Amino acid sequence: MATPCTLVDGLRAARTKFGSRAAITQQDRVISYDDLWQRINSLAATLRSVGIHSGERVALLVENSGEYVVGYYATLLAGGVAVGLNTASRAPELLRNLRHCEATVLLATPEHPELATLAGNGCVTTIVLTAARKVPLATRSGCQVYGQSLQQICAQVTDQLSWSLNANDPASIIYTSGTTGEPKGVTLSHANLVANTQAVVAYLELSEHDICVNVLPFFYSYGNSVLHSYLWVGASIVLENSLAYPHLVVERMARVRATGFAGVPSTYALLLQRVNFSQYDLQSLRYLTQAGGAMKNELIARVRAAVPQAKLFVMYGQTEATARLTYLPPEMLDQKLGSVGIAVQGVRIEIRCESGQRANAGTLGDVWAQGPNVMLGYWGDAETAVLRDGWLKTGDIGYLDTDGFLYLQGRRSDMIKAGAHRIHPQEIEDVVAQMPGVAEVAVVGVDDEILGQAIKAVVVVDANATLSPLQVQAYCKQQLAAHKIPKFVVMASALPKTASGKVRRVELERGELI
Amino acid sequence: MSVAEQVQKYILENILFSQDVSQLPMDDSFLEKGIIDSTGMLEVIFFLEETFQVKVADDEMVPANLDSVNKIAAYVARKKK
Repeated sequence: MATPCTLVDGLRAARTKFGSRAAITQQDRVISYDDLWQRINSLAATLRSVGIHSGERVALLVENSGEYVVGYYATLLAGGVAVGLNTASRAPELLRNLRHCEATVLLATPEHPELATLAGNGCVTTIVLTAARKVPLATRSGCQVYGQSLQQICAQVTDQLSWSLNANDPASIIYTSGTTGEPKGVTLSHANLVANTQAVVAYLELSEHDICVNVLPFFYSYGNSVLHSYLWVGASIVLENSLAYPHLVVERMARVRATGFAGVPSTYALLLQRVNFSQYDLQSLRYLTQAGGAMKNELIARVRAAVPQAKLFVMYGQTEATARLTYLPPEMLDQKLGSVGIAVQGVRIEIRCESGQRANAGTLGDVWAQGPNVMLGYWGDAETAVLRDGWLKTGDIGYLDTDGFLYLQGRRSDMIKAGAHRIHPQEIEDVVAQMPGVAEVAVVGVDDEILGQAIKAVVVVDANATLSPLQVQAYCKQQLAAHKIPKFVVMASALPKTASGKVRRVELERGELI
Repeated sequence: MSVAEQVQKYILENILFSQDVSQLPMDDSFLEKGIIDSTGMLEVIFFLEETFQVKVADDEMVPANLDSVNKIAAYVARKKK
C-alpha cells in the first residue's frame, strides 16, 4: 500500500485494519472506524452535491463530537479546506472569519446559539449536522439537515475523489488571535497535517491500543493534533467536553482505562486542585502531555507525584507549525527541567541573533523553525512576514544548550496566554474602544493561579461619561467569546505612557495606575 | 435575599456580566446552555464556600448538585441541615 499522504489516507488505512474498533466515544455513544468512515463518505458526497470542489472552504461550528470528526474528514475527502471555528465565538467574530476565508459551506450542530444569525446571513450554505433522526426544522429554515436518516453510501465515488488530493494543497485553516483587527488564518496543507501527525505518533509511540480522554477543543492546534494522531493509528478517543466537574473527567479516565491524556497547564492545575488522584485506579495511564505555555516546575512536580507511573511529555509548538515543534523526552525531565526539549521528527530549530546570524549554544535569540509541518502561510496574506526561506520565525525568544535542548525565555509580543487560549490584547482593545464613552483602553495579562494569565482591561472614560466595569464586560460579551472578556476591569484617569506616547504595559500589569 | 437569589446575582454579575435576571432562569442547565466553564465553576464553588460557610467536597461536584441556580440552592440547603 502506498504511503499515506493525507489524513484521509491514514484514516482509510486505520479503518481497513481496525474497522470494528471504537474511534470516538461521547457519553454512551460509540462510533467505530467502520461507522465513522461510512458517515464521512456520505457527508463528502453531500458536500460535493452542494458544489464543494477542490480548495473550497468548509467551516465547522461544532463542539468536539462525532459530528466534528465526520465534518472535518468529509471536507478533506471532498477536496475542501476544513476551517474549525471557535464555538465560543460570537456572531461578529464568526462572520468576520467566514468572510475572511470566503467559506461557501458552514457545517454546524443545531444547538449553537449563533446558528440562526449565521445561517440567515446568506453568505454560506449551512448544513446542520445531527445524530438525531428528528431535527427541529421549524427553527432552521434555510439550513440543509444531514443526519442518520439522510445517510447515503457513496464509497466508490468518494474513493476516487480522494486520489485527486494533492499533499501540498491547503487542507485546513486555523484562526489565531491577530495583532490587528484582521483575522489570522493559519493555512495548513495535507502534508503539514500528516508530518505533524507522524511526528507525534513517533515520540508518543501511539498504537491502536491507546485510549485517550480528550478535553482539548479540536478547533485549536493542540486538540487537532491529538485527534489526527489517534485516528492515524486506529486508537480510541473518549470525549469529555467540560472540565467543570474535574473528578468526573478523572473518573472517566479510570473507567475507560485511558492510556493517555493531554492538557495545558491550567488543565492540570484545575484537576489537581479538585481531585484526589489516589482515589482512582489510573495504572493504565502510560503518558501525559503538556503544551500551551510554560508549566511551572512546582506544577510539573505535583503532576508527576499524582500519576507517578505516567510519563510526562513537556512540549512546545505553534499553530503555525501545525502544532508540535519540540518535546522533552520524559527520561530527561529531571536533567533538563525548564527545557521544552528537542525538535520533533523532521523539524530543525535554530536560534538567530538580531543580525540574522545563527547564535551559538547558550546565546539568547529568536527561535526559528523549519520542517514539513510549517504552514503554507496566513490565508489571504501573500507576504506572511514570519516565513522566510522556508523558515518560521516563531516570535519566541530562547536558547539551545550544548546538547541541543531548547529553553524559552519569553516572547516578543504582548500575547496573553489564558488557559488554552492565545489572545492578543489589541483584539479586545479594539472592541472596548468602540464603546460609547470610552476615551482610551489598554489590555494586559495578569497572573492567575489556574489560567496562568487572566485578562485585565484598564479603561479611561470621556470627561462627561460614566461607565462601570460591569458595563464594559457586558459590552465585550456581546462582541467577544467568553474567554476574551476581561476578568478585571479597572477605571483609570489616564494610561501610563512613555515620552513617545506608548502605553507602559508593565505598569498596568503591576497595577500602577494614575 | 434567598440563597437562590444570591447565587443568581453572583453568576449574573461575575460570569454573565449582567443585572438582568431574565438572563438566568433558576432552572437553566449551566452545561447545556454553556453558561459556566471550568474556571467559572471553580469561582462559584469559592463563592458558595465563602458566602454560605459550606465545604464542597470534590465528589459533590456533580451536575445533580451544581448545574442550575435551583440545584445549587437545594444543595446548600442540604449542607446546612
